Amino acid sequence: MLAEKALDLIRELERSVGGSLPPYNEDRVRQVLEEMRVLCEQNQKDVSATVAGESGLFSGVQVRHAALERNKRCLLAYLYNRIEQIKKMRWEFGSVLPTEVKYNLCEQEVQWFGRYNKLLANYMRSIGGCGGLDLTQDMKPPKTLYVEVRCLVDHGEFETQDGNVIVLKKNSQHFLLRSECEHLIRQGILEHIVH
Amino acid sequence: MNMSLFLSVENLVFIMATTKRVVVKVIWNMKKRVLVLVAFDVDAMCACKVLQSLFQCDQILYTIVPVVGKEDLERAYLENSEGVKHVIMINCGANFDIVETLQPLENVKFYICDSHRPVDIHNVYNAVQVKLLMKETELSVPEYDLLFRDEESEDESGNDSDSSDRPVPKKKRFDDEAIERRRERRLWEENRNKVLFDYNQFSSFGSSAALLLFELAWKMSKDSNDLLWLAIIGVTDQLLHYKTPREKYIEDVMALQSHVSRHNHRDDVDIISINCLKIMYDDEMNLSLYRHWSLFDSICHSINMACKFKVWTLKGQKRLHEFLAEMGLPLTQCKQKYSSMDSSLKGNIKNIIKEQMPKYGLEDEDVIVPSFFAQYGFRNKLCAMDITLACASILESFENGNTGTDSFLLALDVLDRSNVNAKEKGIEMARKQLQAIIKQVQIFLDMHQVISAGPFLYAFIQEGTPDVKFFAHPQCLMRLARFTLEAHCSVSRNKRSKTLPLVLGAPLDREQGTLLVIGIPPLSLDEERKNFFGKAFEQAASSTNARTLHDKFDTFIMEMKTDDRSKFFDALISLLQ
Repeated sequence: MLAEKALDLIRELERSVGGSLPPYNEDRVRQVLEEMRVLCEQNQKDVSATVAGESGLFSGVQVRHAALERNKRCLLAYLYNRIEQIKKMRWEFGSVLPTEVKYNLCEQEVQWFGRYNKLLANYMRSIGGCGGLDLTQDMKPPKTLYVEVRCLVDHGEFETQDGNVIVLKKNSQHFLLRSECEHLIRQGILEHIVH
Repeated sequence: MNMSLFLSVENLVFIMATTKRVVVKVIWNMKKRVLVLVAFDVDAMCACKVLQSLFQCDQILYTIVPVVGKEDLERAYLENSEGVKHVIMINCGANFDIVETLQPLENVKFYICDSHRPVDIHNVYNAVQVKLLMKETELSVPEYDLLFRDEESEDESGNDSDSSDRPVPKKKRFDDEAIERRRERRLWEENRNKVLFDYNQFSSFGSSAALLLFELAWKMSKDSNDLLWLAIIGVTDQLLHYKTPREKYIEDVMALQSHVSRHNHRDDVDIISINCLKIMYDDEMNLSLYRHWSLFDSICHSINMACKFKVWTLKGQKRLHEFLAEMGLPLTQCKQKYSSMDSSLKGNIKNIIKEQMPKYGLEDEDVIVPSFFAQYGFRNKLCAMDITLACASILESFENGNTGTDSFLLALDVLDRSNVNAKEKGIEMARKQLQAIIKQVQIFLDMHQVISAGPFLYAFIQEGTPDVKFFAHPQCLMRLARFTLEAHCSVSRNKRSKTLPLVLGAPLDREQGTLLVIGIPPLSLDEERKNFFGKAFEQAASSTNARTLHDKFDTFIMEMKTDDRSKFFDALISLLQ
């Protein structure tokens, strides 16, 4: 059936929703393109035949054209959704993708990711005063100024903005300014306790 | 001396109390971080969580450090003391002179919320640096004048000795006066020692710290069902670890019940979301963990029932079977999980047991305990006693090389109401502990290892017993000691055994050759639960120079070198005779 293979691509995409990004299905894409090329050639042949005076080919041309359009839509949808997923990952994982994700990208996607990275970095540098602003830091607006944290390792002394010195010792619990301890949480020194 | 201050924490919390009515005035203007030192028990953990939520309401910065013993306390204070002006101590610090021990700067203030009694007199009368968060009615401290003499009078006597250049006749009169004064002083000192001895002789426990802090939250209108549940667990902990007598527990439960009905009073139950915490008051069977076990196992592992039936004997087992048969509970049902028991039987068990009780010599107190349940979401009801046991067992678990503070945090997770996994793990652990306890009790009884030394009973867990690592922790050891004593009294023909206290030792560290020793009061004094072993241990140790370590906040638990055991016990026997 026409456009069957393109639908498979979409199905594959659908199955992976919420999971990890599946590998770029290059074979299938090539097959779809091949199908489109064949359809296109036939259409051209029929069109030139019609121009030459033959009749009764018109409905065939229309069916093939519809199939071509559908294939195109499916392919674009496939690519677009993958790109969207990759974009999401940029905000989640930061500028360096985990290797197992990177493995599943095709070359063009890697290139796109690099360019997107650069754009985002440029933009973030240009806003929020001299140092720039890391937009990926607070994806949701924080509810409280202070957070409850647990210390996971012996980190030693930590000086807060108001000049107090806190000893971050393993298994002690603290109530600290969110902005101060955020990087420590990300480094895995502190653990944010959510109730 | 303004001891009518019921709870006085300047800058932090300020509560003035007349004896009957409590007036609350709360001033939170903390600029500095607060250091909170928490002891290792369930009550302290609950109190700590209540305090945390109060701090979080007002965005007061804090640091919480769990401490095992006095040494740990000193270290934690030294490490964290920089820039700290306020130190709150939960269930630690009351029964020794805190200023003497920690040598703090003069502007550091200590707020002690501790259920250990007696409170060291220096803590009571140091109005500047030490504030006690306790109920005034529970502090029967000797009068100030009996304990301390004003500096003035000493200065006077100092002047007297210097005034030798005065006229002779006057001096003679002065001598008389001086002699008189010296005599008076001697008498006063004698009296002081006596008063102090009487005051310090027994250690006991006051109100639960969690309950106190909950009441504080209530006075501040910041109480919630969650905090209430923590207070309930704190109070239950005191019951389960034999800290307070049953009457005191009932009293606390009554107080809590009024809070429960206040918080859980709704006209239409269906209106509240299922995701709210609901607390109910009910009489509960005093069977350990039966909701998470089989009824039969639970009966065999609960102190009261097990001792009444003497389940470790063949005859006892038969009697227990008879008891169950008479209640109309098929054994197949009793031995399967309680949750999968026939629901027609399940709903009625409490009443049937109550009916059959008198025939088997069981009393109301053995079987029924007023307690509370919590319901959260669509899950099973949780009983306060089960959660307390689960929490305590996680606190003293030793799996995969956890250090003490690790298990402290894990135990905190058990108290978190949404953390179901931690709870299940805790209950599993508690079951293991109970099994180890009953096995050990059986060993004691079968081998006749509970020996009367005259003024007290004693028993030692042999090195190399499989479950020995369970008993290297104070709370589990406490429960084992209690179980052993009750079991021993129930089989012993000697009528005196009820009036004898028990000393129990468990190997702590094989390489260092140390023992963990606990002393518990006799069953006949159960209404008071006053423990004299704290002082007795100290005296026996100092008179024999035994290498002991009185590091625990509970004075009746100590560590000692195994080699010094015999000489220490000789001294203890002669001391108590």
